[in-house]
Amino acid sequence: MAQEPLDVHALEPDAFREKVQSFDFWFDSVQGYLDGLEHGHRPDTPEVALAEPERDRLVTTLCNYCVGETAALEGAGGLIQIAPNRPSKIFLATQTVDEGRHLEVLSWRLRELGVADPEAEIEARASRSLLEFKRKLLALVRGRDWLAAVFAQNVILEAMEFSVFQLHAQSADPRTREVLAGIIKDERRHIGFGENELGRRLREMPLLRERLTAVREELDPLVLRSFEEAMDSIGTPREERPELGRSYLQAVERLGFV
Amino acid sequence: MTPADPLLEPDEQAGAGEGPRRRFMLDDQGFDEVPKKYRRFYRRWKGEGDALGPNEALCPVCKVVVRSTRELRPGDRVYCMACMTRLLIVRSAAGHLEARVVY
Repeated sequence: MAQEPLDVHALEPDAFREKVQSFDFWFDSVQGYLDGLEHGHRPDTPEVALAEPERDRLVTTLCNYCVGETAALEGAGGLIQIAPNRPSKIFLATQTVDEGRHLEVLSWRLRELGVADPEAEIEARASRSLLEFKRKLLALVRGRDWLAAVFAQNVILEAMEFSVFQLHAQSADPRTREVLAGIIKDERRHIGFGENELGRRLREMPLLRERLTAVREELDPLVLRSFEEAMDSIGTPREERPELGRSYLQAVERLGFV
Repeated sequence: MTPADPLLEPDEQAGAGEGPRRRFMLDDQGFDEVPKKYRRFYRRWKGEGDALGPNEALCPVCKVVVRSTRELRPGDRVYCMACMTRLLIVRSAAGHLEARVVY
């Protein structure tokens, strides 16, 4: 077996891809930032008392993050069955674990904020557009539409979460900020997987672009509405909102969707 | 185009008008999202005011700074391990070096 070069950039592209989509790589990566955390934050991070309206808005926000993470959990788990090759299946297994962890730490955060029954609270506060997005995403997975489902989940949904969580983390209370920071680190892998998988396939089969354009047209309004609702509950000023969708728009532009 | 492998390309083969590449010692700057042995190749981006060094490029996908042991030049290949993306260094229309995604 050839020895790995000391410089990561000297790896051959195929060797790099196999490495970063492996379980070993995932395990060594997440250990670096999850070790020592309890429910997604350091055990000694103080709980800051929030005024009731602020706590209530945070609960609504976290409930909707849970809806998004549940969609991603079920979506990633389902995608394993239809992934076209072994490295993708293994990567999606790691993503499934990530999404399960996200759902768990967000549910714990709700409990820490005094929500006695997170399941009931999530159901009561869930955004209609996010639930509709989830329904459509899971229909793509059930229909074994690999590329459309990866586009919906790992490009559209993950890009939205990545942007929203980054913005929210800047103004969140210390515990919520640490929970979100851990999730953001996982999301980098998920958005990268989606964009790279789609980019490769679109290069090989340019006609797929038309199909994915239709998927985008169907899902974009739901995503944009969910963005708006999330911004309302975080309290983001309207003038800062266009900036928020930028990473998603840049990703779809790189993939050739304009 | 096959990107140059920065380890295999000798310094002496620099293009016309370019001097030998500078080399850089990379230190671990606390980027904890990749396994320990690769951490020195990455650092966090501090936002718009964060000036990149001649051996650094910003990953356009996940906005992490990718670092190399050598000065980067157009045609170099680098990888962002944080988002698992292969990047090609190019000169932008404005004359700056930037990283483009290679699918």
